Amino acid sequence: MNETTVIGLLIAVLEFGTLLYLAALGETIAEKSGVLNLGVEGMMAMGGVAAFWAGVETGNPWVALLVGVIAGALFSAIHGVVAVVMGADQVVSGLALTIGGLGLAAFLGQDLVVQAPGARFEATNLGPLNDVPWIGEIVFDQTAVSWIALALGVIAWFVLTRTRVGLILRAVGESASAADSSGTSVVKTRMIAVMIGGALAGMSGAYLTLALAPGWSEGTTAGRGWIAVALVIFGAWQPGRVGLGALLFGGLLALEPRLQTFGVEVSPILLSMLPYLLTVGVLVVLSIRSRHRPSAAPAAIGQAYRREDR
Amino acid sequence: MPSPLAFEKRESPLRGGQIRAFAVGVVVALLLGSILLLVSGHDPIEVYTKMFDSAFGSRRGISTTLTRAVPLGLAGLAVAVAGSMGLWNIGAEGQIIAGAIGAAWIARLGPDLPGPLLITLMLVGAVVGGGFLALGPALAKSRLGVNEIITTLMLNEVAIRVVRYLVNGPWKDPEGNNFPIAPELPEQSALPALFERANIGLVIAAFVLLAFGVYTARSAWGYELRIAGSSESAATYAGISLKAKVFTVLLLSGAIAGLAGGIELTGSSDRLVEGVANGWGYAGIIVAALALMRPSGVAAVAIAFGAVQVGGLSIQTLGVPAAIASILQALILFGALSAAVFTNYRLVRRSTRSAAAAVAS
Repeated sequence: MNETTVIGLLIAVLEFGTLLYLAALGETIAEKSGVLNLGVEGMMAMGGVAAFWAGVETGNPWVALLVGVIAGALFSAIHGVVAVVMGADQVVSGLALTIGGLGLAAFLGQDLVVQAPGARFEATNLGPLNDVPWIGEIVFDQTAVSWIALALGVIAWFVLTRTRVGLILRAVGESASAADSSGTSVVKTRMIAVMIGGALAGMSGAYLTLALAPGWSEGTTAGRGWIAVALVIFGAWQPGRVGLGALLFGGLLALEPRLQTFGVEVSPILLSMLPYLLTVGVLVVLSIRSRHRPSAAPAAIGQAYRREDR
Repeated sequence: MPSPLAFEKRESPLRGGQIRAFAVGVVVALLLGSILLLVSGHDPIEVYTKMFDSAFGSRRGISTTLTRAVPLGLAGLAVAVAGSMGLWNIGAEGQIIAGAIGAAWIARLGPDLPGPLLITLMLVGAVVGGGFLALGPALAKSRLGVNEIITTLMLNEVAIRVVRYLVNGPWKDPEGNNFPIAPELPEQSALPALFERANIGLVIAAFVLLAFGVYTARSAWGYELRIAGSSESAATYAGISLKAKVFTVLLLSGAIAGLAGGIELTGSSDRLVEGVANGWGYAGIIVAALALMRPSGVAAVAIAFGAVQVGGLSIQTLGVPAAIASILQALILFGALSAAVFTNYRLVRRSTRSAAAAVAS
């Protein structure tokens, strides 16, 4: 094991961390408002295929990223209409969003599979900063999207915990009827939260097809959307903790293809189970602890709200 | 600004609402699907005709449709059994894989057993395998109240990696040209054929669905299940042990999905591969939701979804990606979910509603 392989690993940790964090941050915001969206994988695929297509058409990575974000947000609106406005079951609607999203992305992207990337994000050029040993080589050798992810995480933390908007969002997720009584539009708040979640999942998909692994193929999201769903629980619905979780799970993803380089004899496939098993473990530990104190999960998660049922 | 329209609860649910909702879902899916086909330069009429023809137009087509309906129906039943108690088993996909692994394991242990005995043991292995994967979530839910949606979902990804590990490692076929596949199953482990492409698995699945349908409708056990599903306090009041019920129901749900994996392995494939579950576990959740968690409905929706999948594969010759099948299934669900809301609610103008309320008071 030499310095170059360690640096290569740490670069990949931040790359996979970015991918997971964007999607998980979006899901955190949706779940904070009381809406579980199991459609992350489908929204990522839609954002990924749309961004890759836009990159081929325009050659501009920023335009492509924006198209991916918009595609994710628009696609998530289906879940918003069905599960929030119509009040149908969130679990089923979200799963259908994943199935339909993977299918639609494959359908729309069938001619893109053979295409060379038209645009891609390169690591930011910060001049001499890039040459600083370790820090420069790892932290500054990332694309601008990683910095955006970090900024969005800080903004999300600030808005959720320090502002009135965040208070309203959390109130809707804790008790929709109480929030409604105090004059908040539950449907509107939840709809916006779901679409922010979709936008961030779309950005995550765009990061995948424009930066992490430029290109498009069916199944390129490879179950990372499910890791994002797991991360929200792992990080106890807090943007900061979700970020730490993203680095941990991103680390596991980065380690997977490199295990043998490090001389570890364990199959990388077995290592790849860890994020899911860890999440189950965390859930069990949390539920044992929550006997003594309230659970971290938004109380109204998964419940449709209709004023008429009150 | 508040929306001018509002939902108002009907005094009694619309009769036959769910069948109507399903029909609406199918129409919505076909309409939106045809827009997608038109935009991508295909003739929707030609595509849909070919889909229908390949699924129902011949004995061979019908047999393929029914064979595809078997894992969909069993996965749907697995979800429905849990769902009738208000529990979500999102883990059918992983449990199908675990079932297939269990069955394949038996075949490795006793490759020379006579056919009927080997097949029976393999199906038992499948049931045990599926139940085993549900054991953790069942224990966690019944003992600690851990959310079963997430635990079952996470174990799907674990099961996918277990089978990937097996066919890439310890169970890899040495004569498989380095493909990630397990060795071919013994010849006598194949389920006997029924007609054309259908095999005995169809009879087994139909029997299991029928048995569950009758048993849950008629027995005290089924009655308690529905009570527990409708109200926790009512169940406790009636002296039903919720913990034990939650545990058995989730375990049973996993076992049924496992059986689907066993039938798939012994019936339709000749060896264990990574893609053995083929998304049927996830599709089964949609099937169960469309069937309102009723076994009879599960059978009907499973056949419809089997037809969509067979049709989806057939139109690849027209240059249409098979992914259209997934899109149609999701659209049917979105359409039906939205339409089903009108079984219990109707849309009214806000002004008339408040006027009516004023008159009433």
